[in-house]
Amino acid sequence: MTHDEAAAIAVKDLVIRYGRITAVRGVTFSVGAGEHLTLLGPSGCGKTTTLRAIAGLEQPESGEIRIDGTLVFAPGIHVPAERRGLSMVFQSYAIWPHMTVFDNVAYGLRVRRVAEREVRERVRSALDLVKLGDLGERSAARLSGGQQQRVALARAFVFSPSVLLFDEPLSNLDAKLRAEMRVELKELQRRIGITSVYVTHDLEEALAISDRIVVMRDGVIEQIGTSAEIYDRPRNTFVADFVGSANLIRGRRRLDLERDGMIVLETAAGALVHGAAYGRRAGAEALFAIRTVHLRLGRERPAGTLNVWAARVRRRVFQGDLTQYHLDWDDREIVVRCTTVDPLSEGDPAFVSVEPRHCVLLEE
Amino acid sequence: MERVRRPRSAWPGPRLISVLVGGVAAAFVLYPIGFLIQASLSVGDPQARPPEAYGLENFTDLPRYAHIFWNTLVVAVVATVLAIGFGFVMGWILSRTNVPGRGVLEQFMALPYYVTPLMGALAWSLIGSPSGGFLNQVWRALGGEGHLIDMNTPYGIAWVMALFEGSVAFVMIGAVMKSMDPSLEEASQVLGAGRARTMLRITLPLVLPGVLGAAIFVFAEMLGSFSAALVLGLPSRFYVVTTAMYQLISQYPPRFPTAAAMGVCLSAVMFAMVYVYRRIVSARSYVTITGKAYRPRAMNVGRLRFVLLGVCLGYLGIAVVLPLITIVYASFQRLATAFPRADNFTLANYATALSLDAVRSALWNSLVLGFGTASIGILLMGFLSWMIYRSRLPGAGVIEYLLMFPQAVPRLVFAFGMLWAWLIFPIPIYGTLWLLLIAYLTVFLPLGLRTISGVMLQIDRTLEESAQMCGASWGYRMRTVTMPLLRPGLVAAWLLLFIASVRELGASILLMGPKAKVITPAIVESWFSTSTELTAAMALIQTLAVAAALALLFAVARRATQLPGE
Repeated sequence: MTHDEAAAIAVKDLVIRYGRITAVRGVTFSVGAGEHLTLLGPSGCGKTTTLRAIAGLEQPESGEIRIDGTLVFAPGIHVPAERRGLSMVFQSYAIWPHMTVFDNVAYGLRVRRVAEREVRERVRSALDLVKLGDLGERSAARLSGGQQQRVALARAFVFSPSVLLFDEPLSNLDAKLRAEMRVELKELQRRIGITSVYVTHDLEEALAISDRIVVMRDGVIEQIGTSAEIYDRPRNTFVADFVGSANLIRGRRRLDLERDGMIVLETAAGALVHGAAYGRRAGAEALFAIRTVHLRLGRERPAGTLNVWAARVRRRVFQGDLTQYHLDWDDREIVVRCTTVDPLSEGDPAFVSVEPRHCVLLEE
Repeated sequence: MERVRRPRSAWPGPRLISVLVGGVAAAFVLYPIGFLIQASLSVGDPQARPPEAYGLENFTDLPRYAHIFWNTLVVAVVATVLAIGFGFVMGWILSRTNVPGRGVLEQFMALPYYVTPLMGALAWSLIGSPSGGFLNQVWRALGGEGHLIDMNTPYGIAWVMALFEGSVAFVMIGAVMKSMDPSLEEASQVLGAGRARTMLRITLPLVLPGVLGAAIFVFAEMLGSFSAALVLGLPSRFYVVTTAMYQLISQYPPRFPTAAAMGVCLSAVMFAMVYVYRRIVSARSYVTITGKAYRPRAMNVGRLRFVLLGVCLGYLGIAVVLPLITIVYASFQRLATAFPRADNFTLANYATALSLDAVRSALWNSLVLGFGTASIGILLMGFLSWMIYRSRLPGAGVIEYLLMFPQAVPRLVFAFGMLWAWLIFPIPIYGTLWLLLIAYLTVFLPLGLRTISGVMLQIDRTLEESAQMCGASWGYRMRTVTMPLLRPGLVAAWLLLFIASVRELGASILLMGPKAKVITPAIVESWFSTSTELTAAMALIQTLAVAAALALLFAVARRATQLPGE
């Protein structure tokens, strides 16, 4: 992404250090107005630290942060969090237990000296929006996890901040509630139409909620793209592996067989794999990633000649909606996940096939 | 054009204030200690200030006082062993057995702490002084010879201190026993070890570091204890380091440098102790306290539990009830005696105590000082603990260490440093209540900081950060979020500071001026110069005044804090 002064948030060459540890090492990205961007990565990758730096809760070492074109951080400049006009939903919810639900939500409005009558109206409509309309007078100390989550949400958007930041807001909920809230959050995002930056380590959450995803590891950005781009065309082994399970296949280039922009690799054991480069460059050796769900499995040899191989089922693991097969293929193991109809047994011979566009060339 | 919002007041403001307040508080701690060390190195005329010459003679001279150090060691060792014994037994009974009334008993175990060593010493002196002690009177009436017990001995001092510190040891050891994961013991039993073997091989090794930590902590406190050794030791000319220092300072001519050298040595030893204690405690917290919530299994001890209940009640009786009854009893007599006679009862002691201007003004001064210390203290210490544990200010750790320093320095020794430090201070506060206020605020820093930070560390940092994200300035979020959440800690700290200030002796006895007396030193003076009975009355009046002040404050505070929505 280019550094864009018109963006809602622009982060440039951000470096954040804790003592001797460098948590974020040179991160650059921007968030467009109205966009929902997610920072995705394993724990310790610097995503939360980056978010907190945008919020103003961490002081970076170097780099630049702009909000609506205004410089809020650069060496020598540090606008405190309370004057950046952002808002944030915390992982712990951070609901004040000594206040009522109403007072919690009204806080940001009262800070801004909004007239009490307007406070009442806006808090009520915010509580309605998160479906807590009748809980206003309840003490915040007596709320369930899901309710706290909703209060935190209402409190964060009630004063119409320019950007809403989310720090793993769903990670403390149980799986079922999390799936529910994910849908609700998306719905809410659409209704209030606010720019948001979301941090999570949960792939499904990221894919569901974001317009664009920034995948991070060890304080650097591995890939930036739309959900589909990240999922279908991972840039390197880390992203391929982190964003859903993938088989990695290494091989020597067979330039003699390449045509129509396809890349062809020959594995050490001799299998030929046709794949797509997506504008990436490959050397004499290269690596493909193939999602386990993109591989097809069948008893009969499918039509066509590209990327069809014979294999044998070594182990079958039933996973509910999907069944995962570990196959002996080309002197190694390859993993396929497919829906559970007409299951193959362990030891059965089978044919594995994949469309070349799903064999994604990785950068190394 | 770039729109640049430059940080104005909000960010560097608290930072600057933090540096200032932290620095000043640290200076208040270090300033007297500097003077203490200077005094200990003065080898010229002992009265000269600043010293005429410097040298180590005061330290090399100390072996002449070897017996005093030996006395201190004997008292501290005996008292520590006894106190840990009390604490261990009570801790085990109340956290690991099904003794009846556990919950209530646990609350009562704090009471011995509120019967201060001074009260304990006065009471036990009445009970067990060799000539007039009540117990010895009874002994002689029954035909015994001489005396049954003698409290004016090292063992008497150790006994009184142990009853007091037993409550501290109980809290520390009880906490360790409670935080122990019962599955560790269950695992041993599942693997076939019997109850005794499990106790010996699993339970004991696990609680041992905690017990050791408590022992070191109590031992360090004993080394610096003053009041019991003064009341019980002075009549028989038995001195420990603190009382010897007091003697050297208050005799004529005073021998300040020698006293200072003693104080420096004592503090050095206590400092090492506290250091070791903190090491043990921090190492232990990784082992037994796993952060999981569990209730340790209470062992069913059958009928033995009534015996154990008796043990608990026995300790409370000896440490709380007996001393209080003794003092009440003595305060209503013309001449304290074990055998009640109708014509011996009188209210005259109270009438005298309350009519003496010196007592009245001392009591009033103490209450005012207590109020001032507690009120200023919670603001100051609340801010300091916020700064240490929340602000992420560089150097906060160093400041914490400095502020905890008074913990390792006996209050008498600290006050001695202050005596010198503030005598030469350009603002004339020496001999006024202001000096005492500064002294209390300084010596009680660790007490207040520990109480408040205990609560502060339980408050999740994001509660403040979310207020910040809502746009609240530092002052606004302090007022609406941090302070209200901290309120239990602040209230507890206020009460502790108030009680501790009103009952303070070691610092007050050196620092109070003739025109600005406070009550506890006045009680000690009365003990040595007027009658026992009058002193008993004064001690009770002090206790009642503290209780009344607290009751009044509670009533006022409850009304003031009943906010809508709560």
